[in-house]
This record gives sequence, structure tokens and C-alpha cells, in this order.
Amino acid sequence: MIVGSQKPFPELWEMVQGFKKVLVLGCNTCVAICHAGGGKEAEIIAAMLRMKAAEDGVALETDHDAVQRQCEPEYFDPLMEKLRGYDLVISTACGVGVNFLSKLIGATPVYPGVNTSFYGAVPAAGVFVELCAGCGNCILHLTGGICPIARCSKSLMNGPCGGTDKGKCEVSKDIDCAWYLIVERMKELGTLARLGEIQPPRNWATARDGGPKRIVLEHIADLEEAEAKK
Amino acid sequence: MKKLLATLGIDPDRLEMFNLSAAMGPRWAQICTEFVEKMRSFGPTPIHAAKMKQQC
Repeated sequence: MIVGSQKPFPELWEMVQGFKKVLVLGCNTCVAICHAGGGKEAEIIAAMLRMKAAEDGVALETDHDAVQRQCEPEYFDPLMEKLRGYDLVISTACGVGVNFLSKLIGATPVYPGVNTSFYGAVPAAGVFVELCAGCGNCILHLTGGICPIARCSKSLMNGPCGGTDKGKCEVSKDIDCAWYLIVERMKELGTLARLGEIQPPRNWATARDGGPKRIVLEHIADLEEAEAKK
Repeated sequence: MKKLLATLGIDPDRLEMFNLSAAMGPRWAQICTEFVEKMRSFGPTPIHAAKMKQQC
């Protein structure tokens, strides 16, 4: 899932300066799981903005709402007129939701309430770890299911650097060395010899270096288009 | 939640959570009494103080 963390309150307060009527809009999927931007968090942010406005004697009306997912248009349909009634919408979705709603909503500005951080998992309650970089060219079958791009601080493709130390990364003792994990896992799987195979240079065009990515499933997109024309 | 209150300049001790069962009426009354006394000793919140100031 996409993991984020709530923006510091002073930054949110700075964002609303000059606006009179603000909606904080949560997203009840990924960012709700990581307690950053679901409906509950949107309600808390709206309440905090109201309290700060009362403290400072500023006229500010705040409301909150949430949709199931801010990355698909149909979830906004019942809310769109309401959204346009505000001077500002603070979206606590990931950056995808903020971008997407900005395009749909028209003249109303949409500001981010969350810092989108990474694609990760939840190994324990309250703990979120980055496991995938969304690079568009998965090699997990070659690395024991452990991603060197997301989990090695240098995204090295050919084994550990000199900074590896007893299974930990030189960047922080809290970070496991991904290549240490890869070797140990491949030993366990009996596939360590595969690391000796020469791999061609990686094509990074599928990642950020190739520009914004787009996938179109024509068999579905064509159907949708035909339905819309009816 | 206490951390969030602190960012607004509100004493985090103004918020407490207690786990009680429905059978703990006397304990509930004791907690309420003690907490009300504690809040009285704290005085008005910055929000209340600001609102009073605006009304003057």
C-alpha cells in the first residue's frame, strides 16, 4: 500500500492562511491504514484548524469528509458539488489523490495534508516499511524476493557495498543491508548460485528516469468509451 | 492526541483516557471528580481565553 505521514500542523496552518472555508477530505484506503489521512484523521485536522483559528481570533470555517478512494472518479461523484462550495480542499490522500482531485474539481485549489512516503507493508501495528520502489521492471525472482532497489540505500544491483556491517547498512543501524538479506534468503532457498549469473545493465527507463508512466488496457478502455457514447 | 494538543499550545494533561467497565460506577465518579478539580486548577484553555478576549 501507499504509506504517508501527516504534515506537521504548523505547515497545514500556513496553508489555510487567507482562506475562509476549508474542507479536509480524507481517503479511506491506504492512508487510513497508516493513520495519516483517513476520515478520522481528516476530522482531527479540521478540529485542530478550528481550535487554532479560535485561539488566534481568525475567521475560519472548517469541515471534514472522506471518500473510499481518491484515485477513482466515481467516488467523488456524490460529493463534487459540495467540494466546490469551499475556498480550499485539503486532501489527506496520497499525492495521487491530490493530483487527481485537482484535475476533477475545477477552480477550487486542492492542497496536500499528507507527505506521501513509499510503497510499504505493515509488519506490526504502527510499523510501516518500504518494500517496493515501483520501478516498472521487477527482478524479485532473481533476488530471493527482496528488492535491492527499494531496500538497499544505494539501490545497488550487484551485491553489497563496503558499508555493509554485520547485516546492517552504513546509513543507519536500523536499516538491514538488503544484499545481506538477499544472500541469506537465497542460501535458504538453495538458489545462491543464481547470483553468479551475469545480468545485463538495467533499463531504468521503466522507472522515474523514463518520465511519467501510463498503462492503458485497451480491451477495458474501449468498452468504457463505447458505453459512454451510448 | 496529546502531542497534537501540545502543538496548539494546549496542555496535554487536559486529556486523559481511562479504561473502565460498566460495573465500575464508583471509580468512574471518582475519576470525574478528580479530573474536574484538576481542570479547575488549570484554568481556562487558551481557546476559551481568546474567545473571552474577543468578546470584550
